[in-house]
Amino acid sequence: MINIEADKIGKKFGKTSLFKDINFNLTKNDSFYITGPNGSGKSTLLQILAGIQNPTSGSVIYKSDNSIIEKEYYKNYFGFTGPQINPYDMLTSIENLKFTASESAGENRIIEYLEKFDLYRHRTKAVKYYSSGMKQRLRLIHALINNPEIVMLDEPCSNLDTKGRDILYGVLDTLKKDKIIIIATNESEDINLCSKGINLEQ
Amino acid sequence: MNSRILNNIKKDFLIEIRNRSAVNISFAFAGITTLSVSLAAGGAPFTPVVHAIIFWIILFFSAMSGLAHIFIREEEEKNSLFLSLYYSPEEIYLSKLIFNIILFLSISVIVTALYLFFLQVFPVYPLLFILTVISGCFAIASITTILGAIVSKAGSGSSLFTVISFPILLPVLWTAIRLTSVSIDGSGVQEYRNIVFLLAFSGVIISVSYLTFKFIWTEF
Amino acid sequence: MKSYSRLIFYFLIFAVMPGVFLRALIWTPAAEFLGESSRILYFHVPVAWISVISFVTAGYHSIMILISEKERDEREYKAYNAAYIGIIFTILTVVTGSIWAKISWGSYWNWDPRETSIVILMLIYISYFSLYSALKDNVNRMGISSVYLIIAMITMPFFVFIIPRIYPSLHPDTIINADKKIHLEAAMKLTLFTSIGVFTIFYGYIYKLMNRISSLEFTQQEKRNDN
Repeated sequence: MINIEADKIGKKFGKTSLFKDINFNLTKNDSFYITGPNGSGKSTLLQILAGIQNPTSGSVIYKSDNSIIEKEYYKNYFGFTGPQINPYDMLTSIENLKFTASESAGENRIIEYLEKFDLYRHRTKAVKYYSSGMKQRLRLIHALINNPEIVMLDEPCSNLDTKGRDILYGVLDTLKKDKIIIIATNESEDINLCSKGINLEQ
Repeated sequence: MNSRILNNIKKDFLIEIRNRSAVNISFAFAGITTLSVSLAAGGAPFTPVVHAIIFWIILFFSAMSGLAHIFIREEEEKNSLFLSLYYSPEEIYLSKLIFNIILFLSISVIVTALYLFFLQVFPVYPLLFILTVISGCFAIASITTILGAIVSKAGSGSSLFTVISFPILLPVLWTAIRLTSVSIDGSGVQEYRNIVFLLAFSGVIISVSYLTFKFIWTEF
Repeated sequence: MKSYSRLIFYFLIFAVMPGVFLRALIWTPAAEFLGESSRILYFHVPVAWISVISFVTAGYHSIMILISEKERDEREYKAYNAAYIGIIFTILTVVTGSIWAKISWGSYWNWDPRETSIVILMLIYISYFSLYSALKDNVNRMGISSVYLIIAMITMPFFVFIIPRIYPSLHPDTIINADKKIHLEAAMKLTLFTSIGVFTIFYGYIYKLMNRISSLEFTQQEKRNDN
């Protein structure tokens, strides 16, 4: 069983302090939202949780069955996506997914997800020619493809149309039951989906 | 691990083949530099040492124009975060290293063929000449891979790349120039242990790069 | 205890160092073949020594930055300051060396192995600072420039192996022979070694001062951030 703990996390950029003393502990079937005004550090906090950035104070602890996981192995446990994550423009969506999917994921799951997110008919088109909504769908598939135990989504609904949102919420509802979901967002729909959360407004 | 590195190399080749311009430009750069030297020389006789110097300077600048691209592309097209979410720094380093070695060896084949043909050079020790070119290019590619990663993070293009590569490439260039000049005019002993020197040097650089690459690629 | 050791420090730098200079310029006899110009030896060698020492210091701190998580911020400016002193002393070495070369070998630059090595050291320092300034906005600045310095450091032994094969040496055999032994008159030897000693202490003094300035700037910055 996986467990993420934030222990007094704080982040400073040069002279300005974004946030400090953030504490929480998430286990299986917790869904957690991070919200706050623009520039309050939502994405930064999410990236700190993913080990992409380092906190200036405090620490993030990943535990699997109570044994601590080293930072370099975090990425085996989470699926992360956000506006900063860009699949390769010159590759098609299926090539991108084959590149990131682990061997156990297999081709079937790639096709399953492409169909679920309604991208299957665009699978042989280079990502360069995708609309921003289609790109967002592809990003979401990338976060889910390896069936991670933790799903971290940074503004999952940006650029999505109503149909895309419906698909996303359908998927998240099933995932909620046995995974940790962390969403950085400003949408009230996303927040309502989560069982607990934090507001970075100060 | 092996199949993942292979995956990564395959992806790089796929992107470069579809995107042609960058690789095309580095091949064109190498070819045109070689041609321009032979045109400028206009059949004037060079001594073997001068041949060796010009030959390796062409290869040096071809490396400077082409070998940082593989990392700079990841940064410029903002794919590096995506890549590092799925691949470990070690896998990324090794795949880029292999890509660069393949790329630079093929550039050197073109440069060597054009140079020998247009400047009418016939090495007396062909085997030594070929081994020198291969091991020298191997050493240059292994050094510039880690330095290319550094430059891509600094975000300031190829002039910085030349500045920081030159002092570290000097031992390679010196050795390679000497060996090439010996192999062209056949004077002196065939010092095969200098080839071992080149390979040992690249081996040391590769192992240190392998250990330190994560400090460049990820925030530590 | 602290003020006591500082007193020794000051004494060595402000009293002993000028004494050694005087000794080098007046008291010590001139070398047999090189004449009066040989006195530059007592400045040239220590200055070269310090440029190597600061390279090693900067390299040491660079390795430690990557290995241990402790005192990273301190090591950051320590490595930078060592390199900073290093480049100045490298330039001084090149200048004193080429003056001496002009007098004794007839030209300012001869591509002698040791001249070549010092130029390479200078190139590495220049590249390091170019890289350091190019990395201004990068959070990994220290990590990346440390990796560069480490790679530069491991090329050094290869230079030692390769340079003597490329360039024949002109350096005076009276100073360092092929068998690596120093053949100097006792008085000259004494002057040379005391000079190296005081220069090293002088280096330690500047280095300590620079680190103190950096540490003060650092804590000031920290305080400003907290408010």
